[in-house]
Amino acid sequence: MQDFVRAILATAILLSPYAGVATAEEMPLFDAHIHYSHDAVKQVPPRQAAKILRDAGIRKALVSSSDDDGTQKLHEAAPDIVVPSLRPYRRRGETRTWVDDESVIAYIEDRLSRFKYKAIGEFHAYGSDIDKPVVQRMIALAKENGLLLHAHSDADAIDRIFSTWPGAKVLWAHSGFESAEEVGQMLGKHENLWSDLAFRSEHGSGGSVPANWRAVFEAFPERFMIGTDTFAPERWYYIKSHADFSRAWLKDLPQDLARNIGYSNAERMLEAVGQ
Amino acid sequence: MIRFRRLLAGLLLFLGAGAAGAQGVLLDQGEIDAALLHGPWPPPRTGDPSNRVSGIPEAIELGRILFSSPALSSGGRLSCASCHDPDNGFTDGLETARSHVGRLDRNTQGLFNLAGMRWFGWDGRSDSLWAQSLLPIIRSDEMALDVGQIADALQDGPLRERYEGLFGPADSQAPDRNLANVGKALAAYIETITTGKTPFDRFRDALEAGDLEAAAAYPEDAQRGFRIFAGKGKCTFCHVGPLFSNSEFHDAGVPYFVEPTRVDTGRHGGIEALLGSRFTLRGAFSDDPAKTGAWKVERLVRSHDDFGTFRTPSLRELTRTAPYMHNGSLATLRDVVNHYSTIDLERMHTDGEAILEPLDLSERETADLVAFLESLSTR
Repeated sequence: MQDFVRAILATAILLSPYAGVATAEEMPLFDAHIHYSHDAVKQVPPRQAAKILRDAGIRKALVSSSDDDGTQKLHEAAPDIVVPSLRPYRRRGETRTWVDDESVIAYIEDRLSRFKYKAIGEFHAYGSDIDKPVVQRMIALAKENGLLLHAHSDADAIDRIFSTWPGAKVLWAHSGFESAEEVGQMLGKHENLWSDLAFRSEHGSGGSVPANWRAVFEAFPERFMIGTDTFAPERWYYIKSHADFSRAWLKDLPQDLARNIGYSNAERMLEAVGQ
Repeated sequence: MIRFRRLLAGLLLFLGAGAAGAQGVLLDQGEIDAALLHGPWPPPRTGDPSNRVSGIPEAIELGRILFSSPALSSGGRLSCASCHDPDNGFTDGLETARSHVGRLDRNTQGLFNLAGMRWFGWDGRSDSLWAQSLLPIIRSDEMALDVGQIADALQDGPLRERYEGLFGPADSQAPDRNLANVGKALAAYIETITTGKTPFDRFRDALEAGDLEAAAAYPEDAQRGFRIFAGKGKCTFCHVGPLFSNSEFHDAGVPYFVEPTRVDTGRHGGIEALLGSRFTLRGAFSDDPAKTGAWKVERLVRSHDDFGTFRTPSLRELTRTAPYMHNGSLATLRDVVNHYSTIDLERMHTDGEAILEPLDLSERETADLVAFLESLSTR
């Protein structure tokens, strides 16, 4: 009898239009740190990229790309998943040079005039980089358009962003690669700062959350989110593993907190943008 | 004693500094100190406590026979030597290995100087040489032997008597025990595949002894190459010690797509395999009651940057083990040097392998670095 039921279920799954989609018991995830850059577009075509996200149970993803065409192509392929963010780079190599490149502004303005976004970033800026004219103009454009800033920055740069625009809403990429304690201090200091956990492992390696991270998650239950960081084309094939990794350590937290970090915090953060 | 020798070498070089250049020793004291760290060679031989037949002549002989025996493969088609050709640097000279299923994913590594390494294979899926040695036998895309048939395979010709002499009757043991024993015999043989002193070793030894005349026999282009290797190339961050390898895992900026919808997950998959393996230093097949080395598995921490990283290979006998990198994508040593000279940082995470940056080497610098790398081989 059990075999019969299994056979019926298996047939139903095969016939389902959602075959290949993550199973129902898997926690839905909002991946807040996805890139789909020029080389990834060639090597992982949009339909394949969308399938990877669906197969991993990624219901939403904050996507930024170098150049932005990747984000637009992926948005076309998976409009229900992709939340577009505008990265101020035309190629990934500009991470080191863009803060001094005035042509970046024309690029941002052009894209903002043609497409809809929820955020600008992920951009790389450290310390006094924030005070440079190109970065100041980018922040002004985010303010004019009511957009989140996704900043790969140190704590000093985060402070400077909020000094420039006290009403900014900022997602701190990789939580600045800072310690749990330092991240907690920054979240306490800035009420409109959120933290993604992309490309970090220490908060959940082995499926358990260490005490220092548990403490900061519990102190700021609505401010953390997960992210894969697909910084090279091959990393698209890590999305599923990363989702499994995330679900494993999230299970070590109370259910509501896990749901927040896994999905709801990112959704609420983006709802707050522009308000 | 080593510190005294270094002091002596430094003093002699200092006293003869004016003449050192004329005699052809180009390195300054810091560079000499760096060179001394890559020896002495060969290192002292130590047995493998997890392998009770390590170093036993009868096991070495059985391993040598097994290494070339197709009896351990499905259909008798392949042996270890099919890919690890002893006449070809224990490799196959191909970008990636070939088997009955076609082209495999990775370059066949040479088998020189493997005793005592920390991890084995490009992804470090084994923590002992014997565990690594048994894997190709049972992998479906390599020798593909049904492990349930291994006792029968060990009845073949000269294998039976030799196996029984070391381990007892094969058909009275569980298949996994047969397999582990075969791995240990193979490892006993592979441990003997060692290499002698290279031109670099003789240079290093002369520096340590303060023998400038002997040191000066080392070509100047190779010395300039070593300066780059230990200096602006930062190669010694990973290629450390007498083996020129830290035996850890890194992203060297080499793409790792295997086919359009599949990537080589590198260390990420290696850790999964290792943690799922019954043949580890902490497991029942280790012969070491103290379980020396079990910490390697017990303390493993998964990290996102494991994905697409590969073990730093030794640089010894490079001239005999082309092509290079985990996928054999670089045909020559010049190609390898050019790869690091023009490395594509766009592939790297901004907080990843922070030491890598394009070296932007001149033609002469490239030739010098190649000359140094070539001097790490015995022929």
